[in-house]
Amino acid sequence: MLMHTDRMDAIASGEAGRQGRPAVQLDGVTRRFGDSIALHEAWLKIQPGEFMTLLGPSGCGKTTLLNLVAGFLETDSGEIFIEGALVTETPAHQREIGIVFQNYALFPHMSVANNIAYGLKTRGIDRKEIARRVDEALALVKLDGFGDRKPRQLSGGQQQRVALARALVIKPKVLLLDEPFSALDKNLRGAMQVELKQIQRELGVTTIFVTHDQGEALAMSDRIAVMSAGRIRQIAAPGDVYRRPADRFVASFVGDVNVLTGCLVERRTEVATISIGDMRLEVPAPPLAQAAIGDVVDVFIRPEHLAVTSGSTPGSLRGTVTTQVFQGDHIDLYIDVAGVAREPVLLRAPGIAALSSCPVGTEVGLTVRSDDVVAFLPEASS
Amino acid sequence: MTKRPFLGWFVSPAGLVALGLTAAMAAVFQFSIRTYIPGSLEVGGFTLQNFAAMLRPLYALAFWNTILLCFETAAFTLFLAYPLAYALVRTRSSAVRSFILIAAVTPLFLGEVVRTYSWMIVLGNNGFLNTLLVKLGLVERPVQMMFTAGGVIAALVHVTMPIMVIMLAAGLSHIDRNCERAAESLGAGPIRVFLTITLPLSMPGIVAGFSTAFAWTFSAFATPQLIGGGRVSTVSTLIYQLGFSSFNFPFAASLSIIGLALSLAVIALLRQATRPLERLASAT
Amino acid sequence: MKRSPAVMALRWSGRVLVAAILLFVLLPGIVVAVTAFNDRAILAFPPQAWSLRWFWRAFSYSDFGRGFWNGLTVTLWASSIALVVGAAFAIAIHRYTFVLKSVLEGILLSPLIIPHYTIGLGVLILASQTGAGRGFPLVILTHVLLVLPFVMRSTFISLENLDSRLELAAASLGATPGRILLTVTIPLLLPGLLSGWLFAAILSFNEFTATLFVSSQATQTLPVAMYNYVREFADPTLAALSVIYIAVTALLLSLANAFLGLEKILNVDAH
Repeated sequence: MLMHTDRMDAIASGEAGRQGRPAVQLDGVTRRFGDSIALHEAWLKIQPGEFMTLLGPSGCGKTTLLNLVAGFLETDSGEIFIEGALVTETPAHQREIGIVFQNYALFPHMSVANNIAYGLKTRGIDRKEIARRVDEALALVKLDGFGDRKPRQLSGGQQQRVALARALVIKPKVLLLDEPFSALDKNLRGAMQVELKQIQRELGVTTIFVTHDQGEALAMSDRIAVMSAGRIRQIAAPGDVYRRPADRFVASFVGDVNVLTGCLVERRTEVATISIGDMRLEVPAPPLAQAAIGDVVDVFIRPEHLAVTSGSTPGSLRGTVTTQVFQGDHIDLYIDVAGVAREPVLLRAPGIAALSSCPVGTEVGLTVRSDDVVAFLPEASS
Repeated sequence: MTKRPFLGWFVSPAGLVALGLTAAMAAVFQFSIRTYIPGSLEVGGFTLQNFAAMLRPLYALAFWNTILLCFETAAFTLFLAYPLAYALVRTRSSAVRSFILIAAVTPLFLGEVVRTYSWMIVLGNNGFLNTLLVKLGLVERPVQMMFTAGGVIAALVHVTMPIMVIMLAAGLSHIDRNCERAAESLGAGPIRVFLTITLPLSMPGIVAGFSTAFAWTFSAFATPQLIGGGRVSTVSTLIYQLGFSSFNFPFAASLSIIGLALSLAVIALLRQATRPLERLASAT
Repeated sequence: MKRSPAVMALRWSGRVLVAAILLFVLLPGIVVAVTAFNDRAILAFPPQAWSLRWFWRAFSYSDFGRGFWNGLTVTLWASSIALVVGAAFAIAIHRYTFVLKSVLEGILLSPLIIPHYTIGLGVLILASQTGAGRGFPLVILTHVLLVLPFVMRSTFISLENLDSRLELAAASLGATPGRILLTVTIPLLLPGLLSGWLFAAILSFNEFTATLFVSSQATQTLPVAMYNYVREFADPTLAALSVIYIAVTALLLSLANAFLGLEKILNVDAH
């Protein structure tokens, strides 16, 4: 199934169709640390110009994967290709990749200009050309005139721009970003995300971005590879990862989600019917391939996909509002739905109307569109 | 790319040096089981006679005295060095910190001879302390301080002080101040905070400092030789005497071997004995 | 913020205690300094008349001059050799695993706990057995053994503080391992290497016990010459020499403190 979505994306991407070969390709790459498997048979194709995010909690193997692509780690098995060339045995310094570390790793004993020039000097480019390209890179990251400063004289955001310029100035085949925003404060983070995305699109550089922040991943990526426990769980466009998670892990890691208890009523090839209380929903069938009719299933519903109706609407779930949380542009309602959810169900109502229409204690009905629902087998049996 | 670039270049010179050191130590071992030929630098056949001779009271006493001297020195050094290290790490004035640091560390680089010599002037019968005591009317005649174990210890404490301060300060500086603040917030007064938090947490530094002071004292030669003046005999002074007065290198070598084994054993025991304390410190 | 009288009393008694201990540390130096200007030829305190003549004697006594130049020769060679050997080895143990790694490390660090006279004796016996003379190479070898652990330690601490991502970044920018070593690793280790060298040099220059065993009349260093002097004469010449010694050492350390930060070198930096 993973291969399936990958191929569909490849066909959808016009650029990939023109060039025909992925910018980065991992064929069954495995890496162990002692007894533990940090990365288990990763298969991944990244198209030229694509912004691919590796998303997952710490320890999921995303940084291992990045280090393998960079050449900082060696694979135990499997092959890595960059622009079609086999690089599994190629040392890091010959791979022509650019990398921005979490702490930027700027050379503290060199000026900003010398930091940026470093990769050009290793390539034996002549002085004039280096100076020109350093200035160009500084302009690209809006740091004109900062060349003579030392890294420690710069703010966190400026240091990050230098790190980006240093990585990009060598015109890398792939740009690797290792949680580059986590050291920035929140206000700066949003601005840097937009800027980075702009630069990336402008230069069309293939990018692998590692993060544990699903918001960042959804906002910036062309595609996301969700990882957990050393495995890639799903590779898909942000919208698909969000609306059509491949498994329980992806469903609960990306975005907020309610888990309700339902029951499998009927199953066909593509679509299965489930019931939650009086509510009937059609969900994708493949994740429930192992379930029998009548089995209990976990139904995943996003808070913003639930809607409030009057308590007596047929085919809705009935519950009682227990808490209201004002969030500025929306209201979070926590609703007790007896029988189908152990914890109160979270409903995200846009605007502020719900503040007055659904005070605490109100009996409400909940509805949801079938398109926005996925179901999986309960944890123990999956 | 090789996975370990320059490994050979990095390791082989060190390997050569290690080989030299090993050869030197092997030479000591080898000499320790050779027969001494009086009046000659050549040595005879293999024998265990040297080690048997060490059971004589003269030598057994020298070993005992040396270990006692080392313990006393290390203990006094610890008591004097701890407040200094504490002040060094905790003072807020950078001038005070620099002063303590320079004052405490300079003696480390003066070498044993200069420091021992200065203590000879302090402790001598016409020296600083005796003149002071007589002038103050505390004593009528100068007190004998040179050529006594007390004098040797005073000088040795001074010799081992810097390294102890450095090791204690290293330990103290790595203590998370928030632990102390937490204890304070829970109602502990300054003394209680010190006894229940700071002291246990500085245990690794104390153990390291104490064993280093012990080893250094064991190794000291100029101080017991010059201030002890032959009346305080330690393993080091005996070895030198045997080697350079009677040229009995085999016996000097066997004394070295036993001395080394003994000091290693004491240090190992010390580490072992203080291990529960360290665990306590790490658990706190 | 007001503090209780008990806390203030504790603070002040702490300050007095620290001052008293500092006095103990500084006392011999002060006494030596005063003695050095004593005109009379015995070690008595306080001096009755003042003079600089012991300083002139310290400079003119030929054993001291020879000892100084011998010591400088030995020190420069030993600490420089130790720097190259020790730093390279520290990098290897920090980065790589290899056969006999911990054995080699243990051997090279052992001079920290093996008494200097044992090492001196060992080198002496080794030299006599192999027929090597008691020349400078022997003294230099002994000093290399003794100061190597300090260089290794100082380099190792710097390596611990070196962010390995800097080297990864350099590699990603196309630098070969050799280039990374020259343009990133060594420049960033430089303060640690310098302080390690300085430490080694000062320790080597002052080393006495092992040198006493392995040096001859022709190769004796300053501390050995000083020791021999004390055994023969009881005049304040050595006090004068000690004053110069203390002044130069304190000056060097103050410089090291100002430029490199002693706290960092000694790993007692609380901040």
